[in-house]
Amino acid sequence: MTSGDTKKLDALREEVRAFLGKNLPANWGTPAYKAPEQGSPEATTLSKSFTKKLYEAGYTGFGVPAKFGGVERPPQEIAVIRQELGRRGYPMPNVGLGRLVVDTLLQWGTDEQKKRFIPGILSGQVHWIEGFSEPNAGSDLAGVQCTAVKKGDKWVINGQKCWTSGWDYGEWGFLLCKSDPQAPRHRNLTFFLFDCSTKGFSRKPLRQMTGEAHAQYGELFFDDMEITDDLRVGEVGRGWYVSMTTLIAERGGGQVGAASGEAGLQGLQGARSLGGVDDLIELAQNTKHFGQTAWDDAGVRRRIAQFAIENEAQRAYGVRLGALIRSGNASGNEASMSKLTRTEQGKREGDFACELLATYSQVLRGDPRAVNNGNYVYTMMFSRGTTIYMGTSEICRNILSERILGLPRGQ
Amino acid sequence: MAIEIPLKEEQVMLKKMARDFLAAESPKTFVRKMMADEVGYSPELWKKMAGLGWQGLVFPEEFGGSAMSFRDLTILCEEMGRAVLPGPFYSTVILVGLPILEFGTDAQKKEFLPKIANGDIVCTLAALEESGDLYADDIHFKAKPRGAEYILNGTKLFVTDAKATDYYLLAARTRRTENPEDGITLFMVGAKEWGVYVTNMTIMDQTRKQYEVRFTNVPVSAKNIIGEVHKGWPILQQIALKACAALSAEMVGVGETAMEMTIDYLKNRQAFGVVIGSFQALKHKAADMYVAMEYSRSLMEWASECVKENDPDAAIAVAMAKANCGDAVKFVTDAGVQLHGGIGFTWDHDMHLYFKRGRYNDTAFGDGNYHKEWIARKLETNIM
Repeated sequence: MTSGDTKKLDALREEVRAFLGKNLPANWGTPAYKAPEQGSPEATTLSKSFTKKLYEAGYTGFGVPAKFGGVERPPQEIAVIRQELGRRGYPMPNVGLGRLVVDTLLQWGTDEQKKRFIPGILSGQVHWIEGFSEPNAGSDLAGVQCTAVKKGDKWVINGQKCWTSGWDYGEWGFLLCKSDPQAPRHRNLTFFLFDCSTKGFSRKPLRQMTGEAHAQYGELFFDDMEITDDLRVGEVGRGWYVSMTTLIAERGGGQVGAASGEAGLQGLQGARSLGGVDDLIELAQNTKHFGQTAWDDAGVRRRIAQFAIENEAQRAYGVRLGALIRSGNASGNEASMSKLTRTEQGKREGDFACELLATYSQVLRGDPRAVNNGNYVYTMMFSRGTTIYMGTSEICRNILSERILGLPRGQ
Repeated sequence: MAIEIPLKEEQVMLKKMARDFLAAESPKTFVRKMMADEVGYSPELWKKMAGLGWQGLVFPEEFGGSAMSFRDLTILCEEMGRAVLPGPFYSTVILVGLPILEFGTDAQKKEFLPKIANGDIVCTLAALEESGDLYADDIHFKAKPRGAEYILNGTKLFVTDAKATDYYLLAARTRRTENPEDGITLFMVGAKEWGVYVTNMTIMDQTRKQYEVRFTNVPVSAKNIIGEVHKGWPILQQIALKACAALSAEMVGVGETAMEMTIDYLKNRQAFGVVIGSFQALKHKAADMYVAMEYSRSLMEWASECVKENDPDAAIAVAMAKANCGDAVKFVTDAGVQLHGGIGFTWDHDMHLYFKRGRYNDTAFGDGNYHKEWIARKLETNIM
């Protein structure tokens, strides 16, 4: 890198800092700041307006060609921008599963579809929901029973979907339906987009074991919902292959994520300290058992060190995976590994924190005596869903052993 | 499916009768209703249980009991675990009835045991404070002598069934010396006394209510001391011993039922054109669940027999059972959710009831880590 390049990057860094200073909400990053409640209209307004400004400044939207609404920048600039955003934090875009739609359309969509839908996602203006899982088709996604029947130049959709996160915020959605009851497995599905305000679409909450009053997941119902053929993505009968792109992106193996340095579900790196176990160390130091702190226990220290090793291993793997994806050599199956390990580790970390809490691992968010506002307990419970969603741990192991290692299928 | 130390015929009948009774009286609709209920138990069901002789199972007949054994009591506890029974049986019988039986004066036994056996009163233990653990050093709650009375001041946490209770068996500090185990006294305190304030705690297992209870200048007669003044700590240790055995029995019930539900699902659920139980990965997980529960049951039965016989190995047997059952029930209910796929993660499915009750029982009176530390130290003294 020349000194001219370094100067440019320094100037960019200053520019991003100035942008954040001007556009972050008042008191951001201080105890005085009160974030609006997740899911509230205020939170939605904040996320939409901030992301729009971020996009217009060219600080988000990477990995997508400019002609489709993306922001094209060299990787060093992207790295600087993401470091600064990670350092201060910022109101995150809430586009639901919109980023998966971007990956899917880039691979399978028409240019019209890319121009129509991608800018709204990159600028944070449209929230997207996923219509894949059904009560009788979870791991076996190819077995979906939601039907799409062609009627003139429209498709009529009937059926039910479940496990839709952000179910009530969705403005648009994507769907995998059976479009040909006669064709063989994997050749009988078609992928569609749909507007949530379309007649015939309804939704309701699906309460989960974590028990929160506002359900994160919901069920979708399609009752003779009609959509136009221009909302079909990919060819008729090729929906399975389209959905594979979506799933790989969901597991952190997508192009867009890789361009932003987010391969392998790593997220922003700027904010996390090396090892990512600062909070566990503090918890252990503040917990007493048998007259000593948990941190005084060699076994506890070793287990925390192990979590730190696993966090760094995942981060380092994300760097390798990102490079592999950007080079075009990734199969997409690699993402199943980071999904598998991140979620299984999340369970173990949640359990470990609850072990440290001992009796207080019973106390939920909302109780004045809850430790850390009940977040450890909530995370422990929620982690049970993470090894099921986005591809169960069992499915991930099948993918690794069969599709990467080439071991024979069977049972 | 399970291999049991042969139960005597009466015990087999007791187990079957308890299972049928609870299936009819405490179906999951009832359990969920109690989860949403302020107080969390049904007085009608409580009376029915008394009618069957459950509360007084191990009390002598002169106190309205059936003079059965501690092992028989753990059979009931197992069945209550299977049903995730909401209600103050554990609080009343295990935490209070048993210590009064063992350490109460004749007058105290006459005063409390028949009422417990009849289902006339609910009792609970108020021992834990800020630390949440049962260490003598962590008991700061004060009981100051005043003539023939003591005046109680302090706060107890994690008190089960406080809103249902008529009496607290309260652990208070009557003096402090260099030895923290010296100076703890147990009092039976009326729950409706002026100065007793009960606040809900927001707890993960909603089938077993827990509360914060504050006592402000509450008087209690010296006649209500269970055991001797300043010498309550050994009684608390005995309560902990029996509680750990009872909680272990419940955990066996919880874990085995979660496993049975899962096996049933694996046999019936279809995906990829086959029954999912045919997948080796799931079969192996199911096998691991079975192994975990078989060893838990074995340790629990050994521990229950040791307690019943007052065997010198009782303390270590119970510690091992508690630690192992805790680890096993966490593993099995976790696998239970996972093997059910998405539906296992829902509120409407029953698996989370087992998951949460399992975790309550694991953390109560010391989790696996607590007991393993105790076991290590105890085994060290064996070789010295």
